[in-house]
Amino acid sequence: MKGVTRLVWIVIAAGLVLAPLGLPPFAMTLLTEAVILGLFAMSLDLMFGYTRLVSFGHAAAYGFGAYASGWLLLHTGMPLLFAVFAAALLTGVLAIGVGWMCTLATGVSFSMLTLALAQLLYAISFKWTSVTGGSDGLAGIPRTIGPFGFAALSSKTGFYYLALACLVGGFLVCLALVRSPFGAVLRGIRENEAKTTALGYNTRLYKIAVVAISYGLGGLAGALYAPFAGFANTELLFWLLSGQVLIMVIVGGSGTLVGPVLGAAFFMLMEHQLSAWTEAWALYFGLIFIAFVLFAPEGLWGLATRLRRPARPGP
Amino acid sequence: MSTFALLLSQVADALSQSALLFFLGVGLTLIFGLMRIVNFAHGALYMLGAFVGYSIASWSGSYWLALAGAPLVVGLFGVAFEYSILRRLYRRDAHAFLMVTFGLALVVGEAVRLTWGSDALKVPPPPMLSGVVFLLDQPFPVYRLFLAATGIVVAVAIWQFLERSRLGLLIRATSQNAEMASALGVDIKLVRSGVFGIGCGLAALGGVLAAPLVTASNGMAATVIIDAFVIVIIGGMGSFVGSLIGALLIGFVQVFGNYYAPDFALAFMYLVMLAVLVVRPGGLLGKES
Amino acid sequence: MSVPLLELDGVTRRYGALVALDHVDLKVEAGEVRAVIGPNGAGKTTLFNVITGTVRPTAGAIRFAGQAIGRRPSHEVCRLGISRTFQITALFPEMSARANAQLAAQARHARRWQPFGGNKIFKEARARADAALEQLGLSGIADCPAGLLSHGDQRLLEVAMAMAQQPQMLLLDEPTQGLSVEETAQAVDTLARFLKASRMTVLLVEHDMEVVFRLAHRITVLHRGAVIADGVPDAVKADPRVQEAYLGGFD
Repeated sequence: MKGVTRLVWIVIAAGLVLAPLGLPPFAMTLLTEAVILGLFAMSLDLMFGYTRLVSFGHAAAYGFGAYASGWLLLHTGMPLLFAVFAAALLTGVLAIGVGWMCTLATGVSFSMLTLALAQLLYAISFKWTSVTGGSDGLAGIPRTIGPFGFAALSSKTGFYYLALACLVGGFLVCLALVRSPFGAVLRGIRENEAKTTALGYNTRLYKIAVVAISYGLGGLAGALYAPFAGFANTELLFWLLSGQVLIMVIVGGSGTLVGPVLGAAFFMLMEHQLSAWTEAWALYFGLIFIAFVLFAPEGLWGLATRLRRPARPGP
Repeated sequence: MSTFALLLSQVADALSQSALLFFLGVGLTLIFGLMRIVNFAHGALYMLGAFVGYSIASWSGSYWLALAGAPLVVGLFGVAFEYSILRRLYRRDAHAFLMVTFGLALVVGEAVRLTWGSDALKVPPPPMLSGVVFLLDQPFPVYRLFLAATGIVVAVAIWQFLERSRLGLLIRATSQNAEMASALGVDIKLVRSGVFGIGCGLAALGGVLAAPLVTASNGMAATVIIDAFVIVIIGGMGSFVGSLIGALLIGFVQVFGNYYAPDFALAFMYLVMLAVLVVRPGGLLGKES
Repeated sequence: MSVPLLELDGVTRRYGALVALDHVDLKVEAGEVRAVIGPNGAGKTTLFNVITGTVRPTAGAIRFAGQAIGRRPSHEVCRLGISRTFQITALFPEMSARANAQLAAQARHARRWQPFGGNKIFKEARARADAALEQLGLSGIADCPAGLLSHGDQRLLEVAMAMAQQPQMLLLDEPTQGLSVEETAQAVDTLARFLKASRMTVLLVEHDMEVVFRLAHRITVLHRGAVIADGVPDAVKADPRVQEAYLGGFD
């Protein structure tokens, strides 16, 4: 059984690496977007799946990262690679403040604070026209080459590989994190925060740290999106996106890192397929989502694992 | 003199705004207080109320029929939703509710868009409530006065209902200790369905009442759900009086903020919420969460 | 006489008009098992909360191993060497018993923050966790999810988690709360054996007098937040004020 799993992984990895050779440009665009959204969903899983911190404002990370990298690429002539990582880093650093503020509260109030801060950012993106371009957003964002004329990442295929590398890198970082002593404490907070505090952990610091890391990775995804799409607009900060990414995490399977990536791909596929077929695609998607919460809370990834090991003992 | 008149009309304006916010917040807090459910679909149901109200009004030509009918329709829809879906989730953790009601918000939002289209629809107020009155020398819409009055009437009615009526007693007992209430012979399943329905109906009432002012549009769900949560969080989740205080606070902040510093009006609301949470993480009248 | 490990000096805690603790003086020597008893509402749980930093005293000083701890947050108090259990079972239900104890052990590790790798930290924590589970006779069920254990084993697991932190002092809040008669008897046997072998300093709150007389070296009696008696079990049993307090004729 283990051999089969490994084989599946090798096929998926090979498929992703070789995709640009076989897929038409239009499909490559979709795949690149799925990879970026996958990274975004995975970043939320650190908070939601491993720490049970429900962010309703994760679009703030994505949108902020997108505006930051977009602004850097438009106004500073900074090369693509640097702009993307600078934007991600900036998002993560600012998120320390977000984490500090939001962890003043717990439970639903925490979620609403994340939402409120995201909406605040959304409002600012309309008003601060000189930087954000107001309701038009930033357009014509280039994939600036460099340094030293290094242009490989700026082509469409090159950019796909950059996004893929970020996803894989992000995955490895998250994996190391959740398997470390730090990750063990996060799971403790998820299952019983009061007890974790009583054991002598300063849980608030852990939560702030995980918010910063999660937002930083979400910012990385957004920072990739701006040069991918060529624009950054207010929709990237809107609460609908925060909701959608939460759906990706849950439909994919929270607390698994891989599941949310799967969920993002599934979301993209559904959006694309359903919207070609019916105008009411979001309605069906909502129904599918409700069905998942009711009947398969472990998500797609959980379903796949259940199929692989049908007789799992006990709850 | 005219400064005073301006101030007076602003206060009246803020009161009517508070009334609208109160209809939103009180339904949300009632449901949370009893069921520990955060109803994310509250904004969508508010919007649904506005559109159902529009249809009833244009079909029957009576605004008053819409005012009575829309909350009833949406309330029954809420009961059906609780009965068919939420009931399966009481043994699960709180996040399941959040997710399911979020899904409901998406579905209702889309259903409204597909049924009524994407254009904003205007619901005219009844003739006796259109036009303006003069508060000192300032013109002021009659409809807004009506809103403020309705807000006061509904607040008193709900308060009396919770404090005095038998059903209100059952609701309070169940929200304090569901198991105990159940052991004393309260049918908590019924109480839960009922309260969820009432909460949804109140959201719809807010929607119909707001419709003549803001027009019924697809965007209204998103804005109001955040307003509603801000109110409830400021007041303290589950506290009736808290939602009243929260609504007044935010109503005044919105109206005066819009007048004196329109660019920052939105930010004020969040700043107020932040300040409250920093001082009292559970909200003004809430228990420590 | 040696310096006591834990010393409370005039500790008072008020909630508005209610005085939950009223000038409580208490000294616990190293190696002693001290029980705190008293009728409902006597302030026993408040006493624990004040010592562990969950609640701040309104007045008075608390010293632990010579350091003032009355104003420190609970995670710091915990790190100084006071571990506690709760009246209501608090565990990580989906983790195994061992993982529960391991997380407790890791809390005392200097590099508990490490965000990558950590095999060495895990190994040390696991060794301590296994030792603690062994002490409480739980080795056999180490791999069972904590949520599926019997009530008695869950209570003992809480003690094991506290022990995995290698504390200098243990605070046990009603360790047999919610157990049936047979379960209580078994748990008390295990606890008595463990206390004898480990010579741990313990502060114990308990309702069940049989449990108290079986485990405690000395007993402190609280009534309405104030200490009304303090001494060896037989002396306390014979004290007329204690009998009065328990019979309810104290007015």
